[in-house]
Amino acid sequence: MRARYRLILFTCVFFLAACSHNQPAKDSQLALMKTTNPKPVVTDKSKNRNRIEEIKKEVSSFPQIYDVAVVKGKKDTLVAYKVKHLHRFSMKKIEKNLTKMLEEKYPKEKFTVSSDYKIFLETIRLDERMKSPKFSHREAEKRFKEIVKMTEATK
Amino acid sequence: MRMESKQKKQNTTLQQRNYQQLQQKHEIKRPVLKNCIKAFFVGGLICFIGQAVSYFYIYFFNFTEQSVGNPTVATMVFFSMLLTGFGVYDRIGQFGGAGSAVPVTGFGNAVISAAIEHRTEGFVLGVGGNMFKLAGSVILFGVFSAFVVALVKTLLVIWGVL
Repeated sequence: MRARYRLILFTCVFFLAACSHNQPAKDSQLALMKTTNPKPVVTDKSKNRNRIEEIKKEVSSFPQIYDVAVVKGKKDTLVAYKVKHLHRFSMKKIEKNLTKMLEEKYPKEKFTVSSDYKIFLETIRLDERMKSPKFSHREAEKRFKEIVKMTEATK
Repeated sequence: MRMESKQKKQNTTLQQRNYQQLQQKHEIKRPVLKNCIKAFFVGGLICFIGQAVSYFYIYFFNFTEQSVGNPTVATMVFFSMLLTGFGVYDRIGQFGGAGSAVPVTGFGNAVISAAIEHRTEGFVLGVGGNMFKLAGSVILFGVFSAFVVALVKTLLVIWGVL
């Protein structure tokens, strides 16, 4: 009986572990569980990158937030973030304060703010897809709009 | 009620009282702390599996953190129903106690165990009639409390508090 259990355990470990050997793990694979701290993404090449870096820095300065992803589209700017576990009770308050701060500091920008894990995951997936030369900026903008639409549905 | 028990105590003979004392002395005490620890870990493990299921739906499907609750609950209830049918959940329940009954999996267990118990009485009057004998009160309480909470929230929104 014991030998049978060992065989089952060995088979499971063999099949689950062997497949991932020597493959570099993508950020999106563990984005739900670990801090990824992705670089800001710009779907439109003509846009200024400095400002978006600045936005990410400002959002990261919030003590309740630990992981920030910023995506700049043609019109919108998407800010996805993760809230520290013990501060998750005051998610709405954090979102309100964050939106207020961003709108005051950057009145010309239109912000979409979300603490949803799915939105965060999708921003990282978008960043990864944009690294591929096959993925055009138009497609990136289209996907970005879909993510923003998804964010609106969560509110 | 208290007077009654006092009277009952007075009515007992010396022999009976001695026996009661002896019984109390030799009675095996309930391992409350041990049960609590077991319940904590079993309940925690079920919640951990639930979290993994919800991450699975977020990662592979188009569910957001807000909408992932429904498929996760459905999956967990389905798993517990299967395990109840195979007789595994009963063993988990015996070990984990409240840790297995309080999460939503306990709901699935309550529905299926009642259905299995009454299957000899037929599908309509047996299974159909008794399936929600245990879980029916949970549904009723849940629906009614949700109604009350929604009513309170609606009133607070109308009055501008929220």
